[in-house]
Amino acid sequence: MVFMHIDYIHGDSLISNPQTKINPDKLQYSLAKLLQTYPEAEQINVGKLMQQDVYRFSIPAINTTIITTQQVMLNAQTGERLSPLNQTAAIALAQYYYLGNESITNVSLLNDNPPFELSARHLPAWRINFDHFSAPSLYISADSGLVVGKRHAFWRLFDWMFRFHVMDYGDAEEIDNQLLFWIALFSTLATVSGLILVYFRVLRRTKNKRKPMLSKRKHSGVA
Amino acid sequence: MFWVRKLHKWASVIVGIQLLLWLISGLYFNLMDHDKAQGLTHLNDTHAEVAIETHRLLEPGTILAAFKPSVSLSIITLLDKPYYLLTHEKGLYNNLNNDYSLVDAYDGNQVIIDTTMAQQLAKASYSGEATISSTLLLTPPLDDFPKQHNDTWQINFADNIGTSVYIEAQSGRLVGHSDEHTRLADIFFMLHFMDYTCEGSFNNIPIMIFAFITLWLTFSGLIWVIDMLKRNRYRPKLKRR
Repeated sequence: MVFMHIDYIHGDSLISNPQTKINPDKLQYSLAKLLQTYPEAEQINVGKLMQQDVYRFSIPAINTTIITTQQVMLNAQTGERLSPLNQTAAIALAQYYYLGNESITNVSLLNDNPPFELSARHLPAWRINFDHFSAPSLYISADSGLVVGKRHAFWRLFDWMFRFHVMDYGDAEEIDNQLLFWIALFSTLATVSGLILVYFRVLRRTKNKRKPMLSKRKHSGVA
Repeated sequence: MFWVRKLHKWASVIVGIQLLLWLISGLYFNLMDHDKAQGLTHLNDTHAEVAIETHRLLEPGTILAAFKPSVSLSIITLLDKPYYLLTHEKGLYNNLNNDYSLVDAYDGNQVIIDTTMAQQLAKASYSGEATISSTLLLTPPLDDFPKQHNDTWQINFADNIGTSVYIEAQSGRLVGHSDEHTRLADIFFMLHFMDYTCEGSFNNIPIMIFAFITLWLTFSGLIWVIDMLKRNRYRPKLKRR
């Protein structure tokens, strides 16, 4: 774990961080109009979708019985609704962000039951896999077009290593489990006894070798 | 077996103390109060619904044109008032280098977070009773948040656990709280990560060397145990004679 740089594990080197600037003249669809059409809009943001200027915001959505929020994306020039994104748009975005030049092997839309490596709050999302030995997957939110996950084999391996590290063999990756406590406690006792052994077998012995005349061991039994 | 024992002996001499530190700090993480260690003791995370007078909001296009080019403009609320947060340079994460302007969403004036506003923001995030003892503007690296790369206000409260609240200077974002509990946890993280230069990371050369030696300590110990088992050395003493 310590040999692999944590930023690499997080997949920071998989994607670019474009600094494309917003063109203020292109915001012809005004915020006032947006608020007329979506009076409940919250967390309003103006940003980029590749070269396009877009509005992103959330509106309350009723999902069977629970009230959740839904992300909406509008073209800032025309007010046209862009979300949810289709497969073509998701592929274009993934290629825009992905730093490698490998081809895409698989594209799928996740609406529910996300894999462990993606938080459920990012759904719905497109999963785009690339043809590379580290099996990179980019997750692009279908509602915002933003990269919401970047995973590769080394992250997945690290994740398993961490489970072993904290000895949580359930699904939660909890550090405060009983198994870890007892194993760590016994290991501490073993280490302390090992250190005592080191003191007597290595440190004391070298001291004795250096000063043979003062050594108690050599003289014991003589008298 | 001679070399296995030799290897075990000298590996233990080198990594013994650190192995004990790893285990003790690991035990601490196992037993610690996770909320306290994250600085949640006096964190007030209840946010009152802010009523934005939407008809007073200025058009984002006007604001964006008046400032240097931005990659993003967000409507945020600080102290019950709406602001436009303009991001000119965007880091991959919030704690990495970012360049922001904060603009009053009603009158379009740029707002620089000064001591007073930093103190008000800190109070809003603080659930304790104590008063503010000192306020400082810090440039990274910060002792309590080594990963924060942007200038940050440190607002210290005169409570019995020495709470410090960190507010990012350009954006007003709450970086976090730190206090006695988080600082104690930080010491254990330093020991666990062998992060003796306080970079907030476990990717350093000393830990790589020690991890490598510890691996050999474990291997040689395991071979030794198997050898002893084969030679029936684990029977209680009484039975052996």
